[in-house]
Amino acid sequence: MQALLTITLFVAPEWVRNLTGEKLPNVFWAEYVVWPLVQIIVVLFIILTLVAYLVYVERKVSAFMQARLGPMRVGPWGLLQPAADGLKLLLKEDIIPIKADKAIFQLAPIISVAAALVVLAVIPWGAAWATIANVNIGLLFILAVSSVGVLGLVLAGWSSNSKYSLLGALRSSAQMVSYEIGMGLSIIGALMFARTLSMNGIIEAQRADGIWYFLFQPLGFLVYIISALGETNRAPFDLPEAESELVAGYHTEYSGFRWALFFMAEYTAMIVTSAIAVTLFLGGWSFPGLDLIKDPNIYVIASVLVFAAKVMALIYAYMWFRWTWPRYRYDQLMELGWKWMIPAGLVNIVLTGILYVLAMPKSRGGFFDFMHEVNGRLTPTGAGKVFFIVTGFLITIPVSWAILAYINRHSPDFNLDEQRQLQIALRRERLKKIEAQSPAESN
Amino acid sequence: MTVTSVPGRRRTFTNAIKRLLLIDLFKGLAVTFKYNLRALYEKREGGNPNQAIYTEQYPLEPARVSERFRGAPRLNLDPETGGTLCIACDLCALACPVDCITVNSTRREVRDGEKVNKKKVLTTFFFDTSRCMFCNLCSEACPTDCLELTQSFELAVYHRSGFRWDREMLEKGVKYVKYNK
Repeated sequence: MQALLTITLFVAPEWVRNLTGEKLPNVFWAEYVVWPLVQIIVVLFIILTLVAYLVYVERKVSAFMQARLGPMRVGPWGLLQPAADGLKLLLKEDIIPIKADKAIFQLAPIISVAAALVVLAVIPWGAAWATIANVNIGLLFILAVSSVGVLGLVLAGWSSNSKYSLLGALRSSAQMVSYEIGMGLSIIGALMFARTLSMNGIIEAQRADGIWYFLFQPLGFLVYIISALGETNRAPFDLPEAESELVAGYHTEYSGFRWALFFMAEYTAMIVTSAIAVTLFLGGWSFPGLDLIKDPNIYVIASVLVFAAKVMALIYAYMWFRWTWPRYRYDQLMELGWKWMIPAGLVNIVLTGILYVLAMPKSRGGFFDFMHEVNGRLTPTGAGKVFFIVTGFLITIPVSWAILAYINRHSPDFNLDEQRQLQIALRRERLKKIEAQSPAESN
Repeated sequence: MTVTSVPGRRRTFTNAIKRLLLIDLFKGLAVTFKYNLRALYEKREGGNPNQAIYTEQYPLEPARVSERFRGAPRLNLDPETGGTLCIACDLCALACPVDCITVNSTRREVRDGEKVNKKKVLTTFFFDTSRCMFCNLCSEACPTDCLELTQSFELAVYHRSGFRWDREMLEKGVKYVKYNK
């Protein structure tokens, strides 16, 4: 019983308890102060270093895709470039425009970076002790806190008192609010299978089901990835900081370390959204064959490495997209967000719900009897897995595509494609008229 | 006036399938990924246009110049005797369109075996690289293949007087750069 308690309730390892000198049932300081602090320091250190090196990786990846070498001069293969960049940003002059709203101007980057960093607390970096806080509404917490980041951008744009900043901030707030909805809707399908909002619980559910949920939820995964790109302002949705149009968007007037804070927030948001995608759809830190490791500490470290590898693969995909695809036009971006991503999320929820109910056991009012109860939660059987995978790819995606295409083609108002075609048709008529009037001049 | 017509809207089945499966987007992704992969495994030679990474890291490694590139001038020496090949004929100076070559010589008695000839002998040779336009006319005019434009292109100096190359510099060449690789 005692051993079980230490495993299930108390997560702080023994050396922390020895450090505070507390006996087992009353371990408040070890459990809630010392051990979380240790975890926070380690995670912050790793993530901030990682953010600096993500900038380096991004520059290298972009260079390789464009037949260049990228940073090469600072250290071997330019590996000390992040340190040089950080030093440069620290030593830069801190400029606040005279007409800027000083207090808000200083507050905005702090809001932005804090909203991005707080989320790191509930992300399950690995098994057992590798999570800082195992909150039972972890996913809800992440969605709630990370959307506060928009506030930082809007305040930055407004307080800078510059038209570029303001336009960038307006664009980014509209974009992030729109894509937040699609993102929220896309995860619900996976939550139906997991039946919990706890981040660790979702991973445990996938381990219990023996499958990663992107196979059950291909449409949800797709919508989530696209919405996450829009949410983090990455290309092809990087309208808020479209260099060619808006100089730098909301952070045009920022310099030195305040600008670096925005940059840090952007890359941390990238890590966070990929971590959520990995947790929800790619099985988190679980991997086939990982359970063969018997030593608990090595197991945790291996699980952390698996999680990191999955996150880095997604981040590489983000960079890949950024350096391949051109930027969306603003109305196309909004069209994609409101007319495709949000309805697709809704259709996915409805279809997944129907399929889930059909697959439930007959005793619970189901139809196909493809699920059975294990340890008090419904788990799909082998046939159920095949059923969900096949229906996910062959029913959900084509049906939702057909529905969306039908609705969008026949929606009478705000059909931008129709309006463009109308303009083109009118222009063609005009040109024909001109040609008919002066046939001699045309050749 | 020119009348341009806008192509009509084509909505075919293949186009619809292409749009549904995002074929064009994946084509783009394949191109960039191929470049990225080749950049990782191919051994790099700076300036090779057939490679994934074209960049040449010039100050660290020698830059590539084309075969027919005309750069710094040089006065060639006779490989057997070590003396200059220049016979002070002044043809290069005459050929030069910008008059950047000055050849000075004296008449002197030179022993050639048993005979004693009176011969023109080179004393000084000046080549003003700041005025030279590297047209190669001097080199073509040279009857003994003495004056030549080499592939070296590092001609920058800290003072204007450094552009005026004398006979010694022309014969020995100028070394500025040390390459690490």
